[in-house]
Amino acid sequence: MQSTLTPTLDSPAQQTSRARKLQLLGILSGFTAGAWLGAAEAPTKLVSIGLSPMVISLIMVIGVFLARWSVPALILGTSSVRADIRRAPHLIIWALLAGCLWAVANTMTIFAIRDIGLSIAFPLWNSNSLLGILWGFLFFNELRQAGWRRWLGVLGGALVMCVGAALLAIASSGAAPAAHSLRGVWAALGAGVLWGTMYIPYRKAYLTGMNPLSFVTFFTFGELGMMSALAVTYLGVTPLLHELQSARDVLFWLMLGGFIWVIGDLFQQYAAKYVGISRGIPLSNTNQLWGLLWGMLVFGELHGHSHSLYAQVVGGSLLMMAGVAAISFSSATSSERTCWKQAAHREGQRYNIAADYVEARMDGRQAASEAKPARTAIDWLLVVAVTAIFLYFATTARLPQIPITWPASLVLSASAIALLLICGAALYRTTRFH
Amino acid sequence: MPKETAPQQSRFASILTDIHFWVPVAVLIGGLVLLKFLR
Repeated sequence: MQSTLTPTLDSPAQQTSRARKLQLLGILSGFTAGAWLGAAEAPTKLVSIGLSPMVISLIMVIGVFLARWSVPALILGTSSVRADIRRAPHLIIWALLAGCLWAVANTMTIFAIRDIGLSIAFPLWNSNSLLGILWGFLFFNELRQAGWRRWLGVLGGALVMCVGAALLAIASSGAAPAAHSLRGVWAALGAGVLWGTMYIPYRKAYLTGMNPLSFVTFFTFGELGMMSALAVTYLGVTPLLHELQSARDVLFWLMLGGFIWVIGDLFQQYAAKYVGISRGIPLSNTNQLWGLLWGMLVFGELHGHSHSLYAQVVGGSLLMMAGVAAISFSSATSSERTCWKQAAHREGQRYNIAADYVEARMDGRQAASEAKPARTAIDWLLVVAVTAIFLYFATTARLPQIPITWPASLVLSASAIALLLICGAALYRTTRFH
Repeated sequence: MPKETAPQQSRFASILTDIHFWVPVAVLIGGLVLLKFLR
């Protein structure tokens, strides 16, 4: 892909216009992330055989690993990843840390759902957005000099979304809570704290100038390494291999779920980069709304239930949308953006990163000193190898005999693809994926 | 908040004195301990 250098913006009017564009881009990325993270649940719903949740999670992470290397290779090329790492090698540590945090949090959600049910667990771990706001404020100057209206919009919006999420989760969960309720609550809160803290590395990387496509390639080593260690510790090597062998028919669906999740996560990374974690996390938490749409319209969940339950779903959805709107309209002011730049400057000084690189990447462009990203034979080899792996597992996959409403599935898939194309084109036009 | 340090400071020392490093590490360790307790 040919990369064009965006000229440095000199006049205040140009800077303001650019900042507004990047804010809109971040908000659009957050919405698109929600759609794709929610759609990632669809392939996993096809898997109803008696697999251990740990194995399901591990197989999805393998799909994630493959996607995390092939998608960046396809979009910018691995030479761009190498160049980013040479400029800010210290961020590898944070990428690995973030991957480990994700894997432990994901494992905790399995315990939480088992012990207290999705209805209570989901809103508890969705509180990660509130922690994200705290970390964003404390460490990265987010919402500094933002004024009470912005604070009200972001914090109030996140709280309203949590209430909406609670209503949706209660409506979408038919299972009664099991016996170990206290343990489940701890697990759900733990997952929320881990996921909320995972955004510290994200924001640090993007303030320093790293491209989201570069960051995720190292993130995934932490993710896969920690998930494999947990699976081996919990199940043992032989039972794990045995379960993987017995899951051959559904490996493709789970890996596909992981692949779709990566696309959503990439947009989530761009949202964290361009609107910060305090706004980006709540926006991408709309994935719950999309997951519910897939469940209701495609897999017939909630079919034949009472009117009060549908009222709960509509009410929860409206609350979530109101929260999203409040956050979307609370874009950062120029004084807040100046505070972001101070945080970025501090990071650049601390780790000796070239100021022009940090500044250019914050503006979503390449620095003048950077080489244009170019794909090499290695990149194409990676893309071909990953495609071949997916095609192989697709040939061994079996479509489970469960009722699926295909028209609804097509409409939701088309919506997600439309968002991908619109947001992808906007990212390319505005930032060339930087 | 992390202190601003001279660029000459070694990268390793910068990481080890960065609160952005220790907060996720502490949360990760806490998470692993909680997971052990949950089992």
